[in-house]
Amino acid sequence: MRAFTAILIDIYRELSSKRLFWLSLGLSTVVVAAFAMVGINEKGMTIFGILLEIPFVNSTVLEPGEFYKLVFYALGVRFWLAWLACLLALVASAGLFPELVSSGTVETLLSKPILRYQLYLSKFVGGLLFTALQITMFCLASFVVIGVRGDAWEPGVFLAIPLVTLLYSYLFAISALIGTVTRSGIAALLLTVLIWGFLFSLNLSEMLVNSFRIAQIEEIAAIDRLVATQREKDVAVDTSDLTLEREEAVSTLATLSKAHQILFITKSILPKTEETAQLLQRWTVHAANLEAAAADDEDETQSKRSRRRGDGNFGTTRARERDVTAAIERDQHGRSLWWVVGTSLAFEAAVLAWGCRVFSRRDF
Amino acid sequence: MPEAAIDLTSVKKTYKGQIHALREVCVRVERGEIFGLLGPNGSGKSTLVKILLTVVKPTLAQGTMLGRPIGDKASLARVGYLPEQHRLPPYLTARQAVEFSGSLSGVSRVDRRRRADELLETVGLRDWKDRRVSGFSKGMRQRAGLAAALVNDPQLVFLDEPTDGVDPVGRKEIRDLLVKMRSEGRTVFLNSHLLSEAEQVCDRVAILLQGRIVTQGHLNDLLQLKGRYVLQVRWSGSIMELPGCETPRVVDQADPLLAHYIIPSSEPQGAQAAIDFARARGGVIESLTAERQRLEDLFMRAVTDPISGEALPPGAAP
Repeated sequence: MRAFTAILIDIYRELSSKRLFWLSLGLSTVVVAAFAMVGINEKGMTIFGILLEIPFVNSTVLEPGEFYKLVFYALGVRFWLAWLACLLALVASAGLFPELVSSGTVETLLSKPILRYQLYLSKFVGGLLFTALQITMFCLASFVVIGVRGDAWEPGVFLAIPLVTLLYSYLFAISALIGTVTRSGIAALLLTVLIWGFLFSLNLSEMLVNSFRIAQIEEIAAIDRLVATQREKDVAVDTSDLTLEREEAVSTLATLSKAHQILFITKSILPKTEETAQLLQRWTVHAANLEAAAADDEDETQSKRSRRRGDGNFGTTRARERDVTAAIERDQHGRSLWWVVGTSLAFEAAVLAWGCRVFSRRDF
Repeated sequence: MPEAAIDLTSVKKTYKGQIHALREVCVRVERGEIFGLLGPNGSGKSTLVKILLTVVKPTLAQGTMLGRPIGDKASLARVGYLPEQHRLPPYLTARQAVEFSGSLSGVSRVDRRRRADELLETVGLRDWKDRRVSGFSKGMRQRAGLAAALVNDPQLVFLDEPTDGVDPVGRKEIRDLLVKMRSEGRTVFLNSHLLSEAEQVCDRVAILLQGRIVTQGHLNDLLQLKGRYVLQVRWSGSIMELPGCETPRVVDQADPLLAHYIIPSSEPQGAQAAIDFARARGGVIESLTAERQRLEDLFMRAVTDPISGEALPPGAAP
């Protein structure tokens, strides 16, 4: 325990000696200050005192407290914590493990009465706690801003601490492994960001293919409903066009299902960075009674997408957009916490075990 | 026989199944002595120390250190180590670096504070203890590293080139510190290229070459075995050869009749025949000096191929 505490203190000293730490803290402060400078009144939204009259964004439609919570989620969590702050933390911590295994340092550490895997894990936990500390400071400041400016003291914002730390931990485990193997902070950072980008792309692909798949299911159901309705009116009605459409939809569904299965299996064994961040939307936004607002927001986004494509929702012509959106949401929310966090943690544990193994077996 | 600080009966290290860094190394280091492990670069000195300190995994390690099997982590709480070209975290002050080392060794907060102050004063960094080591010279970092190695009040201290980068005054202080450690009952295991320094402080030495111990024992015994006499004779005419002596040399060209003779004998009787021979032929004995072999001579002899007379190549043997 004494050694573990010493390593934690050492990590704090190491990271706080870097300019990037203060830059990150400074940027956090700027984000919170910007957050505090955004306001809402009966006429519209204000930014640095400048009134922006945006339809449906005023205090008669949205309570100030809810508005701030929404901004916290959209700006503070999804934009700042889940992306930029994580990236800055990765940059700051990329050198931790290469430094651990560098010649002249590692000999001293390994000659101490600490087992190698304990040393590795202590360093990992230390790096993680340090990031959690930064997230906590951001959430605390945001909590105060939401309370003071929006008159809503919402403890749900603190859920961002474990969730964003969890998200960061997946990436940090990868960075630690790469840093240990390559002994290079730059390699650790670049490869981790590359893997992060891959995970993001994989998630996006899976989400899109799944949305199209679900839309096809809805399309088939819609065609079936239409055929049934037409037959109710006239048993001898010619539904061959619809049957042809149905066959096409079934064929498309089969292709999409196969593609989705591959993507889903791949995604299942990898960390789910995006979905972990979205858990906050599930919980925080729900806790803040903002589900409706978020749903509206999503609906609008979907509508925009649909308009862009100029057809039905996700390539459908018969299914109602509302039904497709609802089915996609049901599917997304049907993914259990175990699937999102559990499998990601299992991946993280495997990466950590691999890192421990490399560190434990290597000669220095 | 009292328990040795280090008693290795067989240590082997083979890299990738081909490079034999250590072969059947057998070393015994008694408690309370300064032991010097000598050898050319790549002979396996650091590998042996790293195996003892669990930094390198051995292929085979039979033996004990402080009464515990090699590789036992708990025993390392009583061991101090200053690696060659060690790097103290640059963001720490000297005091923090020493205390950090103590924390990892399990030293209590009160003790490590007290020890850090004492040790930094001992190594001459009292006025620098609250400065970051990033601003230290190499010699100062070496001193701070030495303090860090001693913070856990170790029974056994491994020092790998401890005087590397240290100025002559600092070297003397470090040598004094080694002697002080010995007087306190600590065992010091010294890895050094500086044979003259090792000669000054070591009780026992071992010479490692190509992963094998080629000689080891008490320094006095090893050097005494190869003692010699230097005889200076002034001739009035030409210089003559003397029985039992190596070929005479003229050391000073300005004095060409003063010849130096090396008599390869550790006993004075070995010089009598040469003296009698020289005197009988008009030579004047200017001096006779008993000369103990230097460690460097012993070392060079150990690392020289007796057949070819050339130095054996350094490095691990395939």
